[in-house]
Amino acid sequence: MADILEVNGRKLRLVKGDITDLEFESFVYYARHDLALGSGFGTAIAQRGGPEVQGELKRLGSLQTTDVVVTSAGGMKAKYIIHAVGPRFQEEDLENKLRTTIRNSLKTAEDSGIRQVAFPPMGAGFYGVPLETSAKLTLETIRDHLSGDAKLTDVAVCLLDDRELKLFRECFASLGNA
Amino acid sequence: MSNNNTRSHRAHKVIERMGKKLNRQMVGSLVACVHCGMCTDSCHYVLTNPGDPTYAPAYKADQIRKFFKRHYDWTGRVLPWWVKARSLYTDEDLEQLKDTVFGKCTNCRRCTVNCPMGVDYPTVNRMARGLLVSVGIMPEGVAVVSKDQWEIGNQMGVLKEDYLETLEWLSEELEGELEDPAAVIPIDKMDADVVYSINPREVKYDPRTISDAAKIFYSAGENWTMPSEGWDMTNFGLFSGDDDLGGAVARRLYDKVEELRGKKLVISECGHGYRSTRCEGQNWGKVDVGFEMESSVVTMLRYIKEGKIKVDKSRNTQPVTFHDSCNNARSCGMTEEPRELLSLVTTDFREMYPNRAENYCCTGGGGAMSMSEYTPRRLKSAKVKADQLAATGATVVVTSCHNCVDGLGDLIKHYKLNMQVTQLVNLVANALVVEKKLAVAVPVMPTEAAAPLAGVTILVADDEPDFVTFASTVLEDNGATVLKAYNGNEAFAIAHSGKPDLITLDISMPGKSGTEVFEELRNDPALKAIPVCIITGKPELRKLIYERAVLPPEGYIDKPASEEALLLNVRRILDHVHHRTSA
Repeated sequence: MADILEVNGRKLRLVKGDITDLEFESFVYYARHDLALGSGFGTAIAQRGGPEVQGELKRLGSLQTTDVVVTSAGGMKAKYIIHAVGPRFQEEDLENKLRTTIRNSLKTAEDSGIRQVAFPPMGAGFYGVPLETSAKLTLETIRDHLSGDAKLTDVAVCLLDDRELKLFRECFASLGNA
Repeated sequence: MSNNNTRSHRAHKVIERMGKKLNRQMVGSLVACVHCGMCTDSCHYVLTNPGDPTYAPAYKADQIRKFFKRHYDWTGRVLPWWVKARSLYTDEDLEQLKDTVFGKCTNCRRCTVNCPMGVDYPTVNRMARGLLVSVGIMPEGVAVVSKDQWEIGNQMGVLKEDYLETLEWLSEELEGELEDPAAVIPIDKMDADVVYSINPREVKYDPRTISDAAKIFYSAGENWTMPSEGWDMTNFGLFSGDDDLGGAVARRLYDKVEELRGKKLVISECGHGYRSTRCEGQNWGKVDVGFEMESSVVTMLRYIKEGKIKVDKSRNTQPVTFHDSCNNARSCGMTEEPRELLSLVTTDFREMYPNRAENYCCTGGGGAMSMSEYTPRRLKSAKVKADQLAATGATVVVTSCHNCVDGLGDLIKHYKLNMQVTQLVNLVANALVVEKKLAVAVPVMPTEAAAPLAGVTILVADDEPDFVTFASTVLEDNGATVLKAYNGNEAFAIAHSGKPDLITLDISMPGKSGTEVFEELRNDPALKAIPVCIITGKPELRKLIYERAVLPPEGYIDKPASEEALLLNVRRILDHVHHRTSA
């Protein structure tokens, strides 16, 4: 089964790996309100990206849920990091907020002149959004965006393990048939 | 606020989710308690806080039981006043519950084995932790570690390149020590008979356990490998109560073993890792695995019994005792194998009382080591364990659990016991009679061998002049240039002026503490890249590791530090940094 879907001449693909070590122009980091990198992917950004990223984040202050900002990626393979503050831990109106966060990430990337964005399974894992919900909302929102007048040419969803990949593939297949 | 104006959204979600977590085992434990008090004296928290009933397992269970009864048991719905049923209403109620389920229980299950009704309070406690985690209420350390394991794939945020570099370095060391090019740590070897999985603490802070295990596999002639990914056999889902995390972590490991077509998964000495991987992971992950799983304790014992390795117990003559990890002994029934192994590799074993399934917790279990806000409680409750250890008269306590190594290490320092903590793998490796299998000409590099730290500048910061003298001598004998600081202010100033390649930092110093110095170093653009090796046994270290305002230290060494441990860690850190900067 192909893990690439062409939408309106743009690519939407599934890849497996560590999103912070991906050869892609930019990736989305599911950020905290205070923009502190914290642990998890934040550890990887701090270690691989170096102090530059944290320096930029300190100047940006804090954000509300669904807000998105872009920084450089320091010494990482990517050039930019899109810091998106998504909903977490069963909070109210979670699905709408998650959709908005994904849309804002796509739009902010385009406004910054970025052409390639990799997304993690948004909100899944530590922040507790069920993987099925994350797959549906992440893939549908990206597909809908690419179907319109998008400037992005290539969007990936980067899954960490086979469990995530399998579920996203199932959702991806139904996306192609929709 | 949620459905109505009387209950917070989070409280509503906790109650709602509880319904999905109730199975027969859970309900049995929630309804069967008759408050007989048998559990009370089983709990190390109760024994050290005799005047405080809030530590009693039955009381703690009641804090969960009351909202179970109010919402899921007919008695509480019809007669709430009679059965003391009460709902959860506010976020403050949830915070109080957090204090009980994370801060007053290590899920050691000692109360369970003493309950005549079969109530398994720690299982209920774990469920309550999971309910709170699902709405984002948890100690900061639990959040940090969980996120690392979800996203990096291991509890300590060890990046793949760092893990592989450490194994490569250990492999080269092993090859040199055994003078055999075949003495290596194989990575991702297909069709191996043994796939060896470890605790990330081993990579980050205790690499000797890996090289000792490698030496044993080599001597046994084992066809073995270590995976490049999915190598972490620990599972914070057991501690946080997050079954989704538990399942995801277990499946990463299982999937990797299957990808490598490994015949057996051997789990290094870690109590919760063993329980999670061997006993719980398949349920959490909703999978069946097609390979065997075994504790490395059993593997080592088997090698000796089958004559695959030879050991000389006269190399371990110090008086030793054995601490049973709660997860190994009470939850998995592994009590005799470690004792049998100890009898084969040591000469002076002294039993601890009570022992086996009745042994007391190291008091650092259940994730307690990551929750620094509860450290004073933990160390107070550790008095029971300290008395137990002291009564043995042993100078070494052996345990088959990395978490217990840390928990015991902390309490030994706190109660000033004259003891060291070690693991079976270290004792077996020390007793190992290695037969060199191949005589090969190894290129000699005299300069490097004579002075492996030549050209390196190291700042030794410690307020104990004896330690500074010891460390300086060891490091200078190996070619390093040593700068010395005797307090925190001096350490920071010399770090600036001397720009060392590495800093060994004591945490307890006059003036600025080592913790403050460490955070300032990490936040100083000119100094943040200098690797730091913390040298201490103080519990404050946990805060640096688990509650990460800054990147954690590159290594740590317990005091009293041996020459071997100091050199091994310093060389590992420097080699690691060299790899990173030259990449």
